[in-house]
Amino acid sequence: MNLTPILTPLILGAGAIVVLLADLLAGKGNKTVAQVVALAVIVFAGIATVAVWGRGGPAFYGQVSGDGFASFFNLIFLLVAFLVVLTSPSYLKRSGSNYGEYYVLLLLAVLGMTFMASGTDLLIIFLGLETMSISLYVLVGFHKQRPRSNEAALKYLLLGAFFTGFLLYGIALVYGSTGSTNLEAIADYVKAASTPLGGYMGIGLALLLIGLIFKIAIVPFHFWSPDVYDGAPTPVTAFMSTAVKAAAFAAAMRIFYHPAMTLGIPWDKALWVLAVLTITVGNLAALSQSSIKRMLAYSSITHAGYLLVGFIARNELGASGMLYYLFSYGFMNVGAFTIAYLVNRRGDGSYSLSDYAQLGARNPVLALLMSIFMLSLTGIPPLAGFFGKFYVFSAAVQAGYVWLVIIGVLNSVISVFYYLRVMVIMYMREAEDLKDLERVPSVGFAALVCGLAIVLLGLFSGSLLEVARNSILTIL
Amino acid sequence: MIELLSQAAFWLFIIVTVGSAVVVVFHKRVIYSAFALLFTFFGVAGLYVFLAADFLAASQVLIYVGGILTLIIFGVFVTAKIYTMTIPQQTHQRFLALIPVLVIAGVLMYVLFTADWKVIDHPNQPTTARLGKLLLTTYLVPFEVASVLLLAALIGAMRLARPREEDHEQ
Repeated sequence: MNLTPILTPLILGAGAIVVLLADLLAGKGNKTVAQVVALAVIVFAGIATVAVWGRGGPAFYGQVSGDGFASFFNLIFLLVAFLVVLTSPSYLKRSGSNYGEYYVLLLLAVLGMTFMASGTDLLIIFLGLETMSISLYVLVGFHKQRPRSNEAALKYLLLGAFFTGFLLYGIALVYGSTGSTNLEAIADYVKAASTPLGGYMGIGLALLLIGLIFKIAIVPFHFWSPDVYDGAPTPVTAFMSTAVKAAAFAAAMRIFYHPAMTLGIPWDKALWVLAVLTITVGNLAALSQSSIKRMLAYSSITHAGYLLVGFIARNELGASGMLYYLFSYGFMNVGAFTIAYLVNRRGDGSYSLSDYAQLGARNPVLALLMSIFMLSLTGIPPLAGFFGKFYVFSAAVQAGYVWLVIIGVLNSVISVFYYLRVMVIMYMREAEDLKDLERVPSVGFAALVCGLAIVLLGLFSGSLLEVARNSILTIL
Repeated sequence: MIELLSQAAFWLFIIVTVGSAVVVVFHKRVIYSAFALLFTFFGVAGLYVFLAADFLAASQVLIYVGGILTLIIFGVFVTAKIYTMTIPQQTHQRFLALIPVLVIAGVLMYVLFTADWKVIDHPNQPTTARLGKLLLTTYLVPFEVASVLLLAALIGAMRLARPREEDHEQ
């Protein structure tokens, strides 16, 4: 039996149980053990992922594939999870919800994501998505004493269950028309079909796509995301805005980049409208936010729109650009949320922008890191954020979507305002009370790693794009 | 004659399922809704039989009717003032909601009536043995992932349901 394609989720699953037991043995009050074991599991899974990079191939009756595409996404999930686990304990302690189950659920969520990226059968992709979602419903509501955390969890659960219905209905229709849930078998059936399979197969695929883009928070399926991102514990928000979006995009790419899945339906036209709406609505809403957490929530909607531009392009550069974008976006957003958390330590969950006044004088390193994240999110060269946007926009121009790119670039210009506003406040506004920030070494270290990664990924953007290009060969 | 009886049974199950589902949604007393759900689950089990899914029908009765529903009814019973409690039933933006509902219903109707379903060759064979074999061979990975999913749900539910340890000790 070839276990290589499922090596990463195997380690994560076994690791989750080890964390659970270690937490039990460590006794009450000592949650460092759970955190350290979780970090070790993630590192171990990361080493295993790199060691068998792209050598998995299809296995288990063609239901999973450990190709480079899956390996690349597994690495994204694990890197984000590592940074999130590193930054979580101080938040959990402050919120009075420092429990070992947090790390277990986080590992199981990553396990679900790995199956979304490596699944080549709709059944596996669905189960991966559900494992991820169920863990997230709990993680969002983990801060039980905070009413907004509860509200966010309930909202996400109800809407998530509703859209899982869409996804499942779509899978049922696809299965009903082709007799299989396996992507290869479906493609073979479509190719061999004597009459074109338009109609209900197309509706099935559309419902499937809706189920996936709900998780990415594409307009008009985004209404949950600002409230959920705002209410969830900050490390969980960082995790959701990066890894979850990457996982849903991975599944969407795996399914819809298959040449047989187009069925002659103009998907690009429908997605074109959604991409424009997503970029514009996210941007305009972010302009007027006074809370940095909500601003970042809306900005992550906009970035999902940019990624959708790469998805629509449907060519080699678009796909590899998306991989590069998702990889670097993980560092940018986790870093920004980490700083947001460090600066707003008043614990009232307001995350007000005015807390950043004079940060440049109070803590120059944090201010510099935040500037890097904001500039990278804006897309200023030579940082990684610029190259991500550059690749997906170039891909869209190559594919002939010039207007889409023009709208995207115009929106990037608008976004300069709200990203740079943070910097203006940090360096130019007078502060009323100059409180010293509490120093949390592990959180500061995570922010530093994110900052360095963004600079390095920007400087060596060509090498990462090359890796991404080799990773997408099996899905295009 | 058999054909006619089977048709009659089919429509009976349809009426029971849809009729009781309407009661579940529209009844103001939660206890009536809970009992009506019993008939909905039972009706769905009947529909599974008509789809030649014998094992699925049996597990529907066992798990939903026998397990989950009993749990719901227990929950309803131990809630105080359950007989007099009514659930708010206002519908906001009724007409706005009607548009997507009609669109979705229309699309689904179109799909159902125009679809050229792939039909399997030999229906009406016992499925239990085949299902068991498939779950441990072809569908081993989904089977295992489903069990991990349940583990996540279990751990999550316990975490959310348990009181804070600090509160507990006081």
